Amino acid sequence: MEERQTYLWRILVTGACFVLFGVGGLILGLIVFPLVLLLPGGPARRRARTRGLVQRAFRLFVATMSGLRGVSYQFKGQERLGRPGQLIIANHPTLVDVVFIVAFTPAPACVVKAALFANPFTRRVVRAAGYISNAPTDSMIEQATGALRSGDALVMFPEGTRTRPGQPMAFHRGTASVAVHGASVLTPIYIRVDQPLLHKTQPWYRVPPRRPHISIEVGADIDLEPYRHQPPPKASRRLNAWLLAHYEQELGESRSYNASSRV
Amino acid sequence: MQTKDEVLEQVKATLVELFEIAPERVTMEARLNADLEIDSIDAVDLLDRLRRQTGRKISADDFRSVRTVGDLVNAVHAVLQA
Repeated sequence: MEERQTYLWRILVTGACFVLFGVGGLILGLIVFPLVLLLPGGPARRRARTRGLVQRAFRLFVATMSGLRGVSYQFKGQERLGRPGQLIIANHPTLVDVVFIVAFTPAPACVVKAALFANPFTRRVVRAAGYISNAPTDSMIEQATGALRSGDALVMFPEGTRTRPGQPMAFHRGTASVAVHGASVLTPIYIRVDQPLLHKTQPWYRVPPRRPHISIEVGADIDLEPYRHQPPPKASRRLNAWLLAHYEQELGESRSYNASSRV
Repeated sequence: MQTKDEVLEQVKATLVELFEIAPERVTMEARLNADLEIDSIDAVDLLDRLRRQTGRKISADDFRSVRTVGDLVNAVHAVLQA
């Protein structure tokens, strides 16, 4: 009976969080950001302010989700995020992982789905924050490389889209290409979810049977030196293959639940 | 003034060096994507290299319709003429 209650409660919390995210994005986009844009300062200051606001909003969102006991989470190694020119990469098992990463990384740039630049809830925010659209590929690579070289930290998801449970991970080489061209340091984040949670083929109300736990672990920096002395096309292919194998190894166990838990 | 044959030789040398493609596979008819496995990410590096080699401003838009090595040679030739 008690489990039934927490189950219904979590459906309610999940729905409320979606509403909060949409309404929050709308309020930020329609009211807060236009006001912030009126403050004095050049585009760089403006972007920094917007990113700071996004970060605070996401922290509040994370606090709400976990405070209402919709999820529990653990974030390890946060202090190593946000170095100049740092490319931060992560696997993408659930819709909410990006919120955690942005909430705990100081003012990063992000490569986000092109659709967010068209979505009325998100488009003003992603523009004002100077986030980078993932399409077309050539301009994504140029902008991402430029952001890193100018000293930004940048967050990218090499899978490009959320992991499909039961299917092998695939990494887009665009991320490896950006790393080879522009990153001063490459830092992996491993995201593990103990149950399928808001993944690609799961409607929002299909919440897991128990309260889900999200573990976010910042891994050791990846040495880019071996890739710096080769033509970029070759270096990015090698790096991409290495990264995929590395993530498969690191996530080994938590990936297997995906394969077995296909409903 | 470079002839198209000279441009082809230059393009060939670039493809061989950048992508380790066997020179005999680089013909005017070869399709960059289907035959030589050069994708949109590689295209960024290819254009970057061509910009440095030619010293010209090359915009990605000039190369959007490029499908074959022949198209590429024509596009580079046009840029050099301009």
